[in-house]
Amino acid sequence: MTEKKKIKPIMKKEPIDPDAPFLRIEKLNKWYGQLHVLKNISLSVQKGEVVVIIGASGSGKSTLLRCVNFLEKAKDGKIYIEGKRIRNQEKQLNRVRQDLGMVFQHFNLFPHMTVIQNVMEGLVQVKGLPKDEARERALALLDQVGLNDKAEVYPSMLSGGQKQRVAIARALAMDPKIMLFDEPTSALDPELVGEVLTVMTDLAKLGMTMLVVTHEMWFAKEVADRVVFMDDGVILEEAAPEKMFSAPEHERTLEFLKQVLPH
Amino acid sequence: MPMKIIPWDLGAIPSRFFLFGEAAWYTVQITALGVLLGLVIGLIVALGRLSNNRTISTFSRAYIFLIRGTPLLVQLFIVYYGLTSIVTIAPIPSAVIALGVHNGAYIAEIFRGSIQSIHYGQMEAARSLGMTRSKAMRRIILPQAFKRAVPSLGNQLIIALKDSSLASTIAVPELMLRGRQMGSSTFMYMEMFIIVGIWYLLMTSVLSYAIHRIETRLKVSDRD
Repeated sequence: MTEKKKIKPIMKKEPIDPDAPFLRIEKLNKWYGQLHVLKNISLSVQKGEVVVIIGASGSGKSTLLRCVNFLEKAKDGKIYIEGKRIRNQEKQLNRVRQDLGMVFQHFNLFPHMTVIQNVMEGLVQVKGLPKDEARERALALLDQVGLNDKAEVYPSMLSGGQKQRVAIARALAMDPKIMLFDEPTSALDPELVGEVLTVMTDLAKLGMTMLVVTHEMWFAKEVADRVVFMDDGVILEEAAPEKMFSAPEHERTLEFLKQVLPH
Repeated sequence: MPMKIIPWDLGAIPSRFFLFGEAAWYTVQITALGVLLGLVIGLIVALGRLSNNRTISTFSRAYIFLIRGTPLLVQLFIVYYGLTSIVTIAPIPSAVIALGVHNGAYIAEIFRGSIQSIHYGQMEAARSLGMTRSKAMRRIILPQAFKRAVPSLGNQLIIALKDSSLASTIAVPELMLRGRQMGSSTFMYMEMFIIVGIWYLLMTSVLSYAIHRIETRLKVSDRD
């Protein structure tokens, strides 16, 4: 009795579409226990586009952003970067994450390192750049976010706005293809929000592809190419900011905008 | 026959004090080596407990359970007497091994606690730069965790120093054994054990001061 030999499946090459959007999220589902926080989410971001996700807290917008670089693992769904499927697989993730600059609500700077060491860390430890080269690049980035005079201090000596600008420089150091901002100004005192938004606006003007979760409607209005409204784990609507803020299609969107926009 | 009462001769304390110097040196050595071994074991076991690998974490947990749940004296006797059927270990290495194994369990829990106290955002930030898990642990988590562990480690070091007196039971010529010998040869037990006590106090004071200095120096990156 001979067992039928199993036919070895031919390794399927991922079809790479040159016109594919830079980032494509396809039918993403995420559960926290019984809670269905992302319900079949699909979203695309084109190269050079600034997409802002708005929505009430608990609507799943931060979770969506964190699923993109696999800080949260979605239950199912697909994520493509430049047409290439990203899988939950360590080696690939460590490489892909360098292309995805992440900025966190609470900065998450490394407190045991000086500002410049924070910015250099990824360059030296991940990209393997020599220290003097990394230092030069880090200084240029600190200059870009207006903090070259703070290079040698520890993060604890900085204001929240300065910390967030360092965090942006740290993410930019890896030369990412897209920047993910997870409520970058939500932990800041109101008077410090502006300096961070200015840095982000400049970045957008330089043509950086950006996916931003924020409550700053001004930023969404002025900087976004497209605004996405999320509610209860679904994308309720997406539109250009002019349309979203003047004539949203859904009642729920209008309700939300009424609450957050000054009357 | 009524027992003869020997009056205490506290004047003998200063004159005999430095006869304990060599013994104190033994105490310092077995403590230092024991704690050093304990640090190595502690780090490995702490990382083991936090490992996603079931076998490794269970093994680490079992180690802590067994060692923390039994007296150091029992562990010391197992190493020195118990193992003789397999291997004979001299008194001083036995004491170092037992102290290392014993302190390793406590230090593992100190490290585990301090590693877990580091905000998960630190790991996320490191991973989002593309660092591997082990590199993030080495570069980002552990340096911060070590710093947080210093006060508890200092405490454990002081405990270990005093615990090393148990090595007197397996003929390590350290302070406590020296005290017993001097006591029985002079019948001045009170005086000799006061000397022993002073030596321990001196050493723990130096340690406390050193730990305090280290803690202050590590505060550079914290806001005052």
